[in-house]
Amino acid sequence: MTDRLPSPVLDPNRDVGTERASATPARKHAHLKVAGAAQKSAVVPQTLSALERWMLGAIADAPPVDSEIDAILTPGPRLSAKDRLAVYQFGYRARLVECLADDYPIVARTLGEGAFEELAAEYIERHPSTAPSLNAFGRHMESFCRESGSRALGANSEFFAELARLEWALVETIHAEGAPPFDFQKLAKVPVEAWATARLVPSKTVRVLRFEYPVNAFFQARREDKEPAIPAESPTELAIYRVGFRIWRMDLTPAMTRVLEALLAEQPIGDALATIAVDESDPAALGEAERSVMVWFREWVEGGFFAGVTLAE
Amino acid sequence: MNRFSLPSLGIGLGLRTTHYSHILEHRPNVDWFEILSENYMQTKGRPLTFLDKIAEMYPIAMHGVSLSIGSTDPLDRQYLSELKELRDRTQARWVSDHLCWTGVAGKNTHDLLPLPYTEESLKHVAARVRTVQDILGAPLALENPSTYVEFAGSTMTEWEFLSELAREADCALLVDVNNIFVSSYNHGFDPMDYVRALPFDRIVQMHVAGHTNHGTHIVDTHIGPVLEPVWQLLGEVYRRASAPSVLLEWDADIPSFEETHREALRAREFISEEAA
Repeated sequence: MTDRLPSPVLDPNRDVGTERASATPARKHAHLKVAGAAQKSAVVPQTLSALERWMLGAIADAPPVDSEIDAILTPGPRLSAKDRLAVYQFGYRARLVECLADDYPIVARTLGEGAFEELAAEYIERHPSTAPSLNAFGRHMESFCRESGSRALGANSEFFAELARLEWALVETIHAEGAPPFDFQKLAKVPVEAWATARLVPSKTVRVLRFEYPVNAFFQARREDKEPAIPAESPTELAIYRVGFRIWRMDLTPAMTRVLEALLAEQPIGDALATIAVDESDPAALGEAERSVMVWFREWVEGGFFAGVTLAE
Repeated sequence: MNRFSLPSLGIGLGLRTTHYSHILEHRPNVDWFEILSENYMQTKGRPLTFLDKIAEMYPIAMHGVSLSIGSTDPLDRQYLSELKELRDRTQARWVSDHLCWTGVAGKNTHDLLPLPYTEESLKHVAARVRTVQDILGAPLALENPSTYVEFAGSTMTEWEFLSELAREADCALLVDVNNIFVSSYNHGFDPMDYVRALPFDRIVQMHVAGHTNHGTHIVDTHIGPVLEPVWQLLGEVYRRASAPSVLLEWDADIPSFEETHREALRAREFISEEAA
């Protein structure tokens, strides 16, 4: 048993979060383009409902033909009706691309501005917002990376799917409901004979992630403004959690992951510890395991991984 | 006092995430904060924790961008329920949103889209405002939007529409003088025509903000300091109204808290008796 407690890493850029709701997009999007007009005959909507549907289509889908725009919108002092409409067409995509870039800064930085905007534009078309808040708008990015076949991802769709999963877990952790701090001393007061059957109550502010790639190392390097190559497959595990206002990432070993996953699934503590699968005939290994587990427990409890403990009846 | 007896909160700032830590650490002497309602919806985590602490220290008003009062989709009752819950949680003095629609057919563009100013729109929006006010049990403050297009089918000006709507629905107004300025440039009208037509006893709040002039049109970006003509419009409306609460919106390239607050306090130069 040689697992040591890895040092958790604070996510400084996630210290305060990002703006969501706002009247106007701030980010410049040189690569964003407004699609060309579809060839169709002009139809002037006669009701408010029809007009709104026309305008939504004009902004978010295919731009109408010029004659239709000129029949519905007036020109301004300096711009044609078509150019006035383009302000909204641009703003729609820019706002949502900005939101995705806020949620997926490392995906965006790794892909580069042009490729990320291409990916985001495809995402927006596949998953348009249907909610009043943008807080959950980006939630489909992992599956989108994996399944969309987007040209922007090249041959690395699986890697980017995992990177997106990590970044979305950070967002989820920010928005997860916190629990009052769980006192480690309370755990110490659990009678020895009750330990094996007691269960820990998981906090909503912790996530355990298993990856096929060393995603966290890549993420951290990018955070430090390094430019690592896309890594080869190599399974890794990670815990993401919030303590107070702060978000942390902690690399896990396979044994830690098994124990933690079992505890977060509210399995009895004894069953969770059994997943370590240490050679019980080796006293040295057993002793090392016990010491490691106590260190892990303290870190996890202090990290707010658990909201309480329940004893078996 | 305005006709709704809503309090005059003074000069406030839009609460932005980059200033959270400064506010909690230094407790700056700010009259009040306006929050963007949707930033605290669909979350149970850190944003709400920050907000709870700040709402304990300062008066709060809520400003939304997704009510979509002009949409022909049914009102989103779940959204309204969450809005009311947030209002109660923060003890917000009032709730505001925009005279606009943000989507239709279930899709949200998250943009403040303009309405055609027609009798049909007026009747439609007034009925929805009354419903929202019934649900909130309080007056809704509607803000004039900045717009980039106008509809050929409009039969009245925006200021005529807004005044008539406020009377029909008996709602409050949030007058954004930057939006008046932006729209006046984009559509070619005299901003003072807009100002003079406002029902001043309904104005409970005002917005000022920076904007970006592209030459051919102005975009309401909320970037940078407030420009002089916008400050002048603030004074014109403020002096005609009954001490509405004033708020600076700064949403992009946001400077330090102190600099943002200094900019907001410039409002004093334009709303004082001496400025008249």
